[in-house]
Amino acid sequence: MKATDAHFELSFSPNMDLVNVVRRFAESFYERLLDDASLTARITLTTHELLENAIKYAVDGQSWLRTDVRSDGETFTIEVVTRNRSDRRFAAELKARFEEMEAIKDPSAFYLSLMRRSTAQSDASGLGLGRILAESEMTLTCELKDDEVLIRARASGMCQPITSNNGVIKNEGA
Amino acid sequence: MQVKTNSVQVHELSLSLSEQPDSITLSCAGSADTRTSKQLEEQLRDVHAKAVARQLRGVVVDFQKLEFMNSSCFKSFVSWLSRVQALEDGSRYTIEFKSNPAFHWQSRSLQALSCFASDLVRVTA
Repeated sequence: MKATDAHFELSFSPNMDLVNVVRRFAESFYERLLDDASLTARITLTTHELLENAIKYAVDGQSWLRTDVRSDGETFTIEVVTRNRSDRRFAAELKARFEEMEAIKDPSAFYLSLMRRSTAQSDASGLGLGRILAESEMTLTCELKDDEVLIRARASGMCQPITSNNGVIKNEGA
Repeated sequence: MQVKTNSVQVHELSLSLSEQPDSITLSCAGSADTRTSKQLEEQLRDVHAKAVARQLRGVVVDFQKLEFMNSSCFKSFVSWLSRVQALEDGSRYTIEFKSNPAFHWQSRSLQALSCFASDLVRVTA
């Protein structure tokens, strides 16, 4: 990865038909900057999941997405941030989910537990955030202020090689 | 050999079911997202019912042309595996996922499905 400091920002009215368009644009953006197909796939997946959530739960029809890619040629930091206004019920559910995630030590085991729980749920999958943690290997933080929800996913590491567990989902504690 | 096929297009997702005397292949192509999750769920329930009724030993799911799948659709596969796990011993069937290494998300998502049901899932490239 070359040294870079790039970002893009999108603000638009929610429309699920546009999510795939945005994902493909974001994927091209990451591909050009990261020159790493596996990392590009991880960040693209995160972008799609966060954007769908922002659209699904926006109460006023407005969503916002920003992504930042920074690298000095040796290390990189990537952030994907979404923001939307949501109702109290969703904000409370999100708060509880993030409190639960703060305590986890093994994202893969947490993801597997979410998968088991999801089979008992008939509506939302509840897997999106776990997927970002385990499959995309990104950290997640959430800021709730009044009715505004801001979710930030972050990945950082060495440019080459990527010092991660390469996305292997372990079955420990299953 | 008699082959029965049935295809459906939902937004950007194409689902094609091929029924042969001793197997079923479900091919998924395009993008599986929130708009398509309900139809995908119905299709997987249909495949499961057929596999059970015909006492198949295995089903093939072809992801080679599947560009992307979101978490709602991923959950449908988790639920399907859970239904197979709930079958009695001897009635369970395996699911072989044909993946495309060019779509890097697939290796991670299919690895997760393998961990969820290691005795049922087989991933081939």
